Amino acid sequence: MIHRRHNYILDSILLVLLAGFFIWVVYRLKLGLGYTWNWKVIPQFFLRVHDGRLQMNVLTLGFLTTIRLSFWVVLFSVFIGTFAGILGSGKSVFFKLLVRTYVEFTRNTPPLVLVFIFYFFVGSQLMQVIGVEEWVRNSPLWVKDLIRVLFSTPERFPEFLSAVLTLSLYEGAYITEIVRGGLLSISKGQFEASHALGLSEADTYVFVILPQVFKNILPSLTSQAISVIKDSSIVSIISIQELTFQGMELMASTYLIFEIWITITALYFILTYTLSHLAGRLEKRLIR
Amino acid sequence: METNPIITVSGLTKIFDGGFAALNNVSVTVDKGEVVSIIGPSGAGKSTFLRCLNGLEERDRGQIIIDGVPLDHNRKHRLEIRTEVGMVFQSFNLFPHMKVRDNITLALRRVKKIDPPRCRAIADELLEKVGIPEKADSFPQNLSGGQQQRVAIARALAMNPKIMLFDEATSALDPEMISEVLDVMKNLATEGMTMLVVTHEMGFAREVSNRILFMDNGEIVEDCDAERFFSNPEESRSRQFLSKIL
Repeated sequence: MIHRRHNYILDSILLVLLAGFFIWVVYRLKLGLGYTWNWKVIPQFFLRVHDGRLQMNVLTLGFLTTIRLSFWVVLFSVFIGTFAGILGSGKSVFFKLLVRTYVEFTRNTPPLVLVFIFYFFVGSQLMQVIGVEEWVRNSPLWVKDLIRVLFSTPERFPEFLSAVLTLSLYEGAYITEIVRGGLLSISKGQFEASHALGLSEADTYVFVILPQVFKNILPSLTSQAISVIKDSSIVSIISIQELTFQGMELMASTYLIFEIWITITALYFILTYTLSHLAGRLEKRLIR
Repeated sequence: METNPIITVSGLTKIFDGGFAALNNVSVTVDKGEVVSIIGPSGAGKSTFLRCLNGLEERDRGQIIIDGVPLDHNRKHRLEIRTEVGMVFQSFNLFPHMKVRDNITLALRRVKKIDPPRCRAIADELLEKVGIPEKADSFPQNLSGGQQQRVAIARALAMNPKIMLFDEATSALDPEMISEVLDVMKNLATEGMTMLVVTHEMGFAREVSNRILFMDNGEIVEDCDAERFFSNPEESRSRQFLSKIL
């Protein structure tokens, strides 16, 4: 009991110190920078009334773009990482070297540099070669609507796609390493038992090995997915209108530095925290 | 003497990286329905020999023919042999993320493409046979070692193999669980299953098997009738080995 009381005192001191720090920050802003808070204008950047109708405004649109972007990047990078992880752990020296090269090149290059390289190559060359832009332009209305819901506005679809590919390749390198580590944790006996039963290589991975690998690497995958959400802000540099891009635009026009960035931080936090909470629940269910 | 070999091995040689010859020119034939115990000191090549028979280990030289099918680089031959030869491991190797029943039916569903209700019936029948029908919906980690190994036997039997290989199937078990696994193996033997058993259980080797292969240094030193091997072994190395363990 004595021990408990002691902790309460310590907790209170820490809380007071923390509160004091925030009060000091706000005070400095007011006094030092002469900053006047103007929170009233923020809500209209989420929803606005246009022509008598309620409409999503830039922050909501950016938030949705970040969600879409992150979703596809997580999906593709897990695919890339799983394939590359399996190939890199296999017997073939050729694939091993190929995967090593990919991982080392990607991990040891600043993401911003990668985004520029990939964007100008993938965006301007590859997308033209496979004719994405023309395909979208000539596709029927319902396809355009589907693209609008799942990806981005049809006009910006090629850019969106190259952003997704770029980020997926970048994050895929990290997931490759995570999957490789997960594969190392599976005992050889699991492969041997599958072999002895006559299971094909593909079935062995799909039904026996990968379910165990994903259960083991779920915590690392979750952190990587959170990184994806945060890293997705990089592509604001190539004019993908996600959350950070919208934040920068708004800041340039309103100069409400703190209100806007605090709001943006909160939005990212809502996304990442929800994700880690859901992953935690999934983990509990899998371990049971 | 019956002349109906289901396994024909000739000149089998396996050299591990570093030049160690785990198997040195091993030749042997096994007839249908024979129960063969493979015994010998550790490092003699017993497990390697067994693992070569279903292609888990690649051989360097020699020929293996299982039920008329040569084990070569032909994928069809390999698959046929893998499904006709069941194997039970020392460390059970059950799939931990699947229920007992799914462990047993996975290969039935994926390799033999048998429909789920039929798979279920086969699994329940086999679990009955190994004496744990109530464990169908349990996960492997909730089973004792003996129960896990019996599930592993049921899983191998599900493919309806012609030959069963047991690689030290009771070595990882607590003493009180060894007999429940050996009993299942005895029943299999009396049903006429062709069995190759690497074992340290001399009681089992003597009682159940009708033939002993005594291996040492990657070679078959003595190959004879079980009763004769234990009562009157011919080779001095066999006598030495027996004097140490009996």
